[in-house]
Amino acid sequence: MFPMRTALAIWNGRISPVFDVSRQILLLDIENGTIVAKSSQRLDEHDPVRRAARLSEMGVETLLCGAISKPLANLLTAYGIKIISFIAGNVEEVISAYLAGDLPNPTMVMPGCRIRCRKLRN
Amino acid sequence: MGRVLQKCRFLKNIKYHKIMKKTAENNEPRLPFSASNPTKIILESISDGVFTVDREWRITSFNRAAEEIMGIDRREAIGRLCSEVFRSSMCEVDCALRCTLETGAPIINRSAFIVDARGRRIPISLSTALLRNEKGQVIGGAETFRDLSLVEELRKELEGRFQAGDLVSRSASMRRIFDVLPQVAASDSTVLIQGETGTGKELLARTLHNLSPRAIKPFIAINCGALPDTLLESELFGYKAGAFTGADRDKPGRFALAEGGTMFLDEIAEVSPALQVRLLRVLQERVYEPLGGTISIKANVRIIAATNRNLEVQVKKGLFRQDLYYRINVVRMELPPLRKRKEDIPLLVDHFISRFNRTQGKSISGVSSQVMAFLMAYDYPGNIRELENIIEYAFVLCNQGLIEPCHLPDEFVARDLLPPRSGEIATAIRAVEAQTIRQALQRNHFNRLATARELGIHKSTLFRKIKSLGISLPERDGRYRG
Repeated sequence: MFPMRTALAIWNGRISPVFDVSRQILLLDIENGTIVAKSSQRLDEHDPVRRAARLSEMGVETLLCGAISKPLANLLTAYGIKIISFIAGNVEEVISAYLAGDLPNPTMVMPGCRIRCRKLRN
Repeated sequence: MGRVLQKCRFLKNIKYHKIMKKTAENNEPRLPFSASNPTKIILESISDGVFTVDREWRITSFNRAAEEIMGIDRREAIGRLCSEVFRSSMCEVDCALRCTLETGAPIINRSAFIVDARGRRIPISLSTALLRNEKGQVIGGAETFRDLSLVEELRKELEGRFQAGDLVSRSASMRRIFDVLPQVAASDSTVLIQGETGTGKELLARTLHNLSPRAIKPFIAINCGALPDTLLESELFGYKAGAFTGADRDKPGRFALAEGGTMFLDEIAEVSPALQVRLLRVLQERVYEPLGGTISIKANVRIIAATNRNLEVQVKKGLFRQDLYYRINVVRMELPPLRKRKEDIPLLVDHFISRFNRTQGKSISGVSSQVMAFLMAYDYPGNIRELENIIEYAFVLCNQGLIEPCHLPDEFVARDLLPPRSGEIATAIRAVEAQTIRQALQRNHFNRLATARELGIHKSTLFRKIKSLGISLPERDGRYRG
């Protein structure tokens, strides 16, 4: 069984505020709920199509990020990437919550996005 | 006058009380401004978003307009990190507030975008300033921002300019193509591009490739109408050594060269029935065999086909396989001829001039009004390619300044067709009018009634114009049959 690859858009130890312009992602290979590999990658593509294509090329299956514009989110979905967006918080705390299956989580959501969070959880 | 002032004061009081009531309901003890502070009232009534942060980058106040623009209730915003509330394109690398707090210098009208809670990108202009307490000590920063969505929409509407890759257009028909371009590019579907010769079919195919996930792999174009059948087959699929006389070693075909990328099959309607069967197999099963080869090769290639013919008609005539047509016609894009989107001519002229200036190291500033009038009046059977050739020709003769009628190709320099050299608008209009009538007459074999109908004018108006504009007519014309 192949590990599942998840990417987190990060900035200064926290989830990057806007994925459309994020410059760094943390790649996690997760197997049976445990991280088996971890690496950091620069993201220089500003064009939405290239950004989405780059994530797809890296084999990302799930993206955890902060705010994301709708067109980019639609593109990522078209590439088969699952998105958990509008997350805010410390990277390590977000990873722990994600591994525990506790995302989206109202305590780790950006202001103004609680309704979105509720919808996703339901 | 006194009564008016009194009324104004009364209305102001009502507004003040409404704001105060709302503030009290919202329960905002952490706002730095006291309720009696007029600054607060001003901040609540303006349409610009305003928020303040402390030195830890946490929001300390958030006005009504900021709530509206961001779609965030101030009770949720206050106390949170500003980057997680404001979510602007500048937060990570170019934070204006950080710059102001570090240098003390305010920033005025910087452009950026924010992403609101609904995922909308909102263009804004923002300004920043230091926030000081009564003793003059810096306690944080203030940021004001203005929603420019409407301005941006109006600007786009006014400019009407849309560009995707090298495709430039402001016409509605092309805008429809631009709208779906990213989605079509992102998909892996086969695309059929239809359009007259010179409308930019290959350019559209390249743009689709460049916007697609296959952009880093090759884009291979082949003109199916330019090669004889046997040669086309070996070009597309390659051959093995010994496949035919002279084939002394293996040669990869275009499909092999395009592996992982995009294959552009131009003039697909010209492919012979035998080769259509082989192409159908590639499209259906994604495999092919090189000439003389026995092992099937997998083809991971996206196919974009183009034709200037109506493939449906070709199918009905039995000249094109129906099954291949359905395989190709997954996503169809129609490129309109230039004569149906003449509003693009000035834009395309600018585009070509700036490109030739760049490639030829010249500094031509544009075309004169006479040349533009002429270019607008022409019908362009060769479409954009013909316009490009006209501009390229003019670049040979013109070194700087404006392109004038004398710089245009000889075939267009039928002097009586061109507007006179005087820059008067009336003479330019007359020249364009004459040219339009001449071309309509030619299209209708000099039948005046048909020409008048096409031009939407009465036949006697046409006669009058022919006479006044001095348009010469042939001895035998559309009135004579047989």
